[in-house]
Amino acid sequence: MSLSREYVVDGKPVAVRAEHVGGDHWRVRVGARVMEFRVGALGPGALRLVPVGPDAGAATVAHGAPAGEGYQVRVAGRTHQLEVPAARGGSAGGGADGRVRAPMTGTVTKLQCAVGDRVAADQVLVVMTAMKMEHKLTAGLAGIVVEVAAAEGAIVDSSAVLVRVEPSAVEGEK
Amino acid sequence: MAANPPFRRVLIANRGEIAVRVARGLRELGIESVAVHSEVDRRCAHVLACDHAFALGGNTAAESYLDGGKILAAAKAMGAQAIHPGYGFLSENAAFARAVRDAGLVFIGPNPGAMDRLGSKKAAREEAVRAGVPVIPGTEQDDGDASLLAAARRIGLPVMIKASAGGGGRGMRRVDREEDLADAIAAGRREAKASFGDDRMIVERAVAPARHIEIQLMGDTHGNVVSLHERECSMQRRHQKVLEESPSVAVDEALRKRMGEAAVKLAKAVGYDNAGTAEFLLDDKGNFYFLEVNARLQVEHPVTELVTGVDLVHLQVQVAAGAKLAELLAGRDLRPRGHAIEARICAESPEQGYLPAAGPLRLVREASGPGIRVDSGVYSGWEVPVHYDSMLAKLIVHAPDRESACIRMSQALAESAYLGIPTNVDFLRRIVDDPEFRAGRMSIDMLGKRPDLAAGPGTAPDDLALAAAVLCQAVAPARGAPAAGGAAVRRSAAVWTELAGFRVGGGGA
Repeated sequence: MSLSREYVVDGKPVAVRAEHVGGDHWRVRVGARVMEFRVGALGPGALRLVPVGPDAGAATVAHGAPAGEGYQVRVAGRTHQLEVPAARGGSAGGGADGRVRAPMTGTVTKLQCAVGDRVAADQVLVVMTAMKMEHKLTAGLAGIVVEVAAAEGAIVDSSAVLVRVEPSAVEGEK
Repeated sequence: MAANPPFRRVLIANRGEIAVRVARGLRELGIESVAVHSEVDRRCAHVLACDHAFALGGNTAAESYLDGGKILAAAKAMGAQAIHPGYGFLSENAAFARAVRDAGLVFIGPNPGAMDRLGSKKAAREEAVRAGVPVIPGTEQDDGDASLLAAARRIGLPVMIKASAGGGGRGMRRVDREEDLADAIAAGRREAKASFGDDRMIVERAVAPARHIEIQLMGDTHGNVVSLHERECSMQRRHQKVLEESPSVAVDEALRKRMGEAAVKLAKAVGYDNAGTAEFLLDDKGNFYFLEVNARLQVEHPVTELVTGVDLVHLQVQVAAGAKLAELLAGRDLRPRGHAIEARICAESPEQGYLPAAGPLRLVREASGPGIRVDSGVYSGWEVPVHYDSMLAKLIVHAPDRESACIRMSQALAESAYLGIPTNVDFLRRIVDDPEFRAGRMSIDMLGKRPDLAAGPGTAPDDLALAAAVLCQAVAPARGAPAAGGAAVRRSAAVWTELAGFRVGGGGA
């Protein structure tokens, strides 16, 4: 069997693929690099990794679990929060065009603006709930709310435009 | 089990790790424990650790653990004879302690009269002056802005501006320049008003560099008080303790004796009983200045337990039932033995300005081994609620000397895993491995001066981390995680609020 994942490292996606060679032997491709390990499970989310190869280092214990949008792994006494590409809000649209989009499919819990409201760039306009997690959506720019395209309680699709803000000169804003 | 338990059943008016720790102590004494809990804490570790549980309802502290009326009613309904308040919440509330007594129950803590006399920083300072305990030169009352300004000039800069009713650093600031005084007083008043409903301020000389040294006291109801020596809690971030230890590298036998005697004198002067802690600042010339008394069991009490060999919760319960310290401690050698360090494991990101976190703990693996104690309030699968303190557990180590204790702590932190939400575990390890900390050169402003310790190396995950992550998912997925394949990872996520706002495509990063 094998398992593939993609993580964002220094802003670039890196493909990581684990392949079962046989027995406790696994091969892992991190980008172009190939690493091999003898792997022992120490219970859910816990592994003992013994590097294989002529210049292999000492055995190490690793712990891992999903965390937020990504995956948290703890190895060699350090914790790393791994970011997955989908979690970067890529489809959430550009706030610079004044459109507030749903970053994921979910329920509109609260509308905190109405047409005609003057809003600041960091002001929370919509509160959404998805996977029982709450997300506060803020205006991308300062201006006046010209359209509210969702109702409280509505289920909206990822990337749907919920609020439209037209820029205007608001004091204190760049 | 103890031959004659002092009580049959005791209610613990607290939550999380301290309620678990108190329940353990009660069980060792042959006493049944009653947990109280809010709605969201229905499955909290302390509820599972106690013999009985009582639902208080509500979720905020105000509608649960801070509601003295509800807690008293719970104690009566459950047939408890005494209430242990833990720390925080109602532990230093003299009115609650009185209400417990008036209801015919025992409050396991100091008598309310002593609490009143030490209740505010100002009251405690006046008591210390009367008892001949050194205090930081400064004002004892607030006669308005003009008098505070005049006092600051008289004492000489730098000064500390503090809330009279204060605690936890709120309303407190250091002023180095005369032109900043008026603004600092005004800002302090606003903060104090918001935090304590009381905007009175005091001015004191800033002692710097200063160490935070505190003396653990234990008194009985017969007028006896003993010192169980010092703890050093100089590693603080924004006036909150991060690591605590005993003994202190800055305290020798002679100073230990002098500070202990000063603390005992003050406690006896106000008729203090049960556990308490006198906090002092110690300057680099060996001068110590009284700050305040914390009239309760402290978060960091385990380090004292490890070096003195006494069980402070046992003593608290026994003296509350009227036992004499001389009998409880007869034949005991209370001199500090070895070195103990405690690390507070919290759900927060030191790397992001100590932003607190909440949410599901997918994987908890707590350290173990020789000389390691973990007082924990969490388990794998527990959802850390947003309503309370961010502390998850305390990791405490004991070793023959400080260097070995640091090595043991570093190793224990490396072995600990609290995954699913951000924690300060890596930050704690950076401190313990830091040469300045290892050398014992701490002061209360060290963390403020060393932002590198909070920030961390900021390096991207290496190939080993990436490989380990995918292997963990392929070979041994954590609880609540999907089997190999599939991107959704939050199947069992329950309600929590992302603390940072989510900005939709806004601006550049």
